[in-house]
Amino acid sequence: MSASPLPTKPNSRHLAYRINAVVMIVAGLLFAAPILLILITAFKPDSEIVKFAGILPHKATLHNFQEILGSPEEIPIFRWFGNSVLISSLVTLLVLTVDSLAAYGLARLNLPGKKWVFGLIVATLMVPGQILLVPVYLILNKLGWLDTPLALIVPAGAGAFGVFLLHQFFLTIPRELEEAAALDGCSKFGIYRHVALPISAPALATLGIFTFVGSWNDFMGPLVFLDSVDKYTLPVGIALFQTSYYAEYGLTLAASVLCTLPVLIAFLLFQRHIIQGIALTGSKE
Amino acid sequence: MPIDETVPSNISRPITRRALLAAVPAALAAGGCHSTGSNPVTVRYWNGFTGPDGRTMLRLVKRFNERNPDVNILMQRMDWSTYYNKLFVAGQGGRTPEMFVLQTLAIPRFARARFIRPIDDLVASPQTVDVSDLDANVWEALHINGQHFGLPLDVWPMGLYYNKKLFLEAGITDSSGSPRPPQTRDEFLDTARRLTRPETPHRPGQWGYTFTYFESNLYTVLRQFGGEFFTPDSSRCILSSPQNEEALQFCVDLISKYHVAPSPQNFDSWIGFRQGKVGMAFEGIYMLADLQKQKDLEFGGAPVPLLGTHAAVWGGSHNLCLRAGLSGRELEAAWRFMRYLSDNSLDWAEGGQVPVRRSLRNTTRFKGMEVQSQFAREIPIVNYLPRLPFIFEFQTEFTTAIEKALRGTETPRVALATAQARLNKIIERDREASVAS
Amino acid sequence: MTTATSKTRSGAWSGYLFVLPYLLLFTVFLLAPLAYGFSLSFYRRELLSVVPPKLIGLANYSEALHDPYFWKALWATLRFVALCVPFTMLTALSLALGLNGLKGRLQTVLRAAVFVPTVLTISVAGILWRWFYNGEFGLFNAYLHYINIKPPWLTSTGMAMVSIALMTLWWTVGGPTVVLLAGLHNIPPQYMEAAEMDGAVGYRRFRYITLPLLKPVLLFVMVLNIIGSFQVFGQTFMITRGGPEMSTRSLVQYIYETAFNNYRMGYASALSWLLFLVIATFSAAQFRLMRER
Repeated sequence: MSASPLPTKPNSRHLAYRINAVVMIVAGLLFAAPILLILITAFKPDSEIVKFAGILPHKATLHNFQEILGSPEEIPIFRWFGNSVLISSLVTLLVLTVDSLAAYGLARLNLPGKKWVFGLIVATLMVPGQILLVPVYLILNKLGWLDTPLALIVPAGAGAFGVFLLHQFFLTIPRELEEAAALDGCSKFGIYRHVALPISAPALATLGIFTFVGSWNDFMGPLVFLDSVDKYTLPVGIALFQTSYYAEYGLTLAASVLCTLPVLIAFLLFQRHIIQGIALTGSKE
Repeated sequence: MPIDETVPSNISRPITRRALLAAVPAALAAGGCHSTGSNPVTVRYWNGFTGPDGRTMLRLVKRFNERNPDVNILMQRMDWSTYYNKLFVAGQGGRTPEMFVLQTLAIPRFARARFIRPIDDLVASPQTVDVSDLDANVWEALHINGQHFGLPLDVWPMGLYYNKKLFLEAGITDSSGSPRPPQTRDEFLDTARRLTRPETPHRPGQWGYTFTYFESNLYTVLRQFGGEFFTPDSSRCILSSPQNEEALQFCVDLISKYHVAPSPQNFDSWIGFRQGKVGMAFEGIYMLADLQKQKDLEFGGAPVPLLGTHAAVWGGSHNLCLRAGLSGRELEAAWRFMRYLSDNSLDWAEGGQVPVRRSLRNTTRFKGMEVQSQFAREIPIVNYLPRLPFIFEFQTEFTTAIEKALRGTETPRVALATAQARLNKIIERDREASVAS
Repeated sequence: MTTATSKTRSGAWSGYLFVLPYLLLFTVFLLAPLAYGFSLSFYRRELLSVVPPKLIGLANYSEALHDPYFWKALWATLRFVALCVPFTMLTALSLALGLNGLKGRLQTVLRAAVFVPTVLTISVAGILWRWFYNGEFGLFNAYLHYINIKPPWLTSTGMAMVSIALMTLWWTVGGPTVVLLAGLHNIPPQYMEAAEMDGAVGYRRFRYITLPLLKPVLLFVMVLNIIGSFQVFGQTFMITRGGPEMSTRSLVQYIYETAFNNYRMGYASALSWLLFLVIATFSAAQFRLMRER
């Protein structure tokens, strides 16, 4: 696509630069356009969606939104939104706390047998989540946690990715920093709290964003572990609302808009941090 | 099975609250909102009505709650295909709702898993429902080992929807000039042919007929040709029979020989009908609300023509069911709600259903519902899906077989034989699983 | 790893307090389920059944090997991986190179545009693309109509998985692109300047300078992409439900349906271990390739 000879420092007057810029703008539009289409089409009446005649609505209507927002007992979309926020936040909090503690212990403390333990943890990175679906389901059933937020929160803390990521990060902390803190009378926990964590803020932010987005978009978990509609998260709520019989595209698209807008706004506000965080993980390993 | 063990936890909640209230000073309690006695009893009510029928049901629930302040019906709904999963899984964890809707096809499965409380004692009680008012075949479909496992609310025979405008254009009319839906196989083929028109640069193509939902469409035709699916004791699958092959071949021929129906490969059938590109389709009454949204479509409803030798149409019913072991105030409240829904099933019918109580169908109000009353004529010939505890596996195999045949991937003979072999394996496995120690 | 300094041995075990909370979760929700799931795969355990679970040895595995639906699902999954991974990698690399050649603000904006589909949940993305692909009123065919073609996006067995892969490309390529772009940023400018002085520009510079330096990141992204692709579920579940003729029913969807539609927990466990085996084989092969090159 763009194997054009680009100079090291882009020069905007260069012809090649301009060609590349045009190509990339078109590509960017292609990626963003579908999202704009959800926004536009949600304002079409159903009969217009089913007989497509142009991108813009002939008779724009708020009907789809009124119907969704007007009957919370029918489509408890705010409830789902609240559930999603709560679950994703708690998962993120849990993962950050537990993983950073463990990663610190394994990376910086002189624990007997830690190589073995860390090896075991890293080995599970290879395990696809699906393999755990049935047994975790049965365990949660035993614990009586099915159909509660706990089913989505607590098991999420067992993943090895965060421990691995933070472990690698903690390894790079200079020994002298810790020693200085120890001389000041810091306990092990104090060093973790006042030295390791602040230094690792970027890595923690990355892990936090990853975890939050992963939990927010998780589809399989709520699909399998929850059964009461008022406990659903947004992804399953919207999916299960779509039916195989009726073509209620107007309603589903309007629901999609309501579900997407907050995430979209959050993304646009923090996009720099989010993308840098993701890039960091990639180049780390 | 731990289903019944949920009862204590449900009962304990009001008790603890009562204990708590007793502990606070009397003055506070008097000033507080609820007096202990009139705590409304909550009945969780689950169903799969996600479309417009869900909105109709929700209105009924609201009205009932307003008129019965001592009861709070809490309705929850999700797409049918996921709904049964969730209901079963909830039951496994002892969280079955007090009341739920099962389609007739699901009754054997959930009855065997001991999910459902039979309602015969309630029917015999003073607060009865007149079951002689129900259609006999519909009520009988809920009968297992001397007990009835639910109260039928409606019945949905499959019917013929036809596009009035296309009929008029093709001149398919009766003596008075109104569109004339076909009644026999010959009429059906002739009508379909006259309605089919290839695409030209000036107007889009048009089809005489289209298969919409494979399972219901094909089940109707197969039953009309007289084929059985299982031996009477359900111990063997006999899907691969000459009658069934002939019936399936007839359906394939509509696509590949008579060219009056599009191949499923290239056509979104139901939407096509809604868009006015198809003359006829067989669908359930529940699609009525969907069609009514298409303001520019003039359509009518009629009984399905007789394509084979036996009068039969695919159909089903929504049944109101109670959780196994339900008792006390919850039972009373749920039963009251069930009777309310049954008594008011004309309101339910308005959203595109056929009530199962004959007295209601004889009212002028029902007779004014054009499509509903046309479809209701077929109630006596409704054929439910076979009664099987492994019904979902059956549906998968049956749908796979007919899909392959209709798409031309396999001949009807091979497709049916494959499905039969797999179903017999499933029967064996099911037998092993159900023969208790 | 740094060797232990002059710390006393006495407090060594107390350090495990740090690791304990995680280890607890790790044991209960990862190790135990793994072992439990593995043992389940040798049992007949059916939730619908009134018969207690029964040890049946390798019967579940042999059933899978004789189960045409298993092979069909495996084939569908492999097709998805084969379609998705190369296209995702090529697109991500092209986009990253293109973006890397742009200046500050424009780069930031377009990077965000490419990345933004990733933040949609699968249900929203699925609903959207189901509409795009619809044969009768879908966006694509509404415009392709003008040039008189009508691709059976989701209705033909050959095409449906291609359509799913295309949708996946749109939905997921942002992540790899951003990571590769960061990899490009990390290449020290001196290399590029040196290359330029040697007259290596355009394709030659890409082939001999950029690509080798980018290789570790590229491989990392690819391994993740392959593992992720093997686990495809949400897209097919939302858009085709596995049809037509089960041509898009992935292994994960088959596992899900076996476990939670038919409640055959033992068989579902065996299927998941077979999936694991497939993924492990592919990953091992990749790591070997990586080391050899």
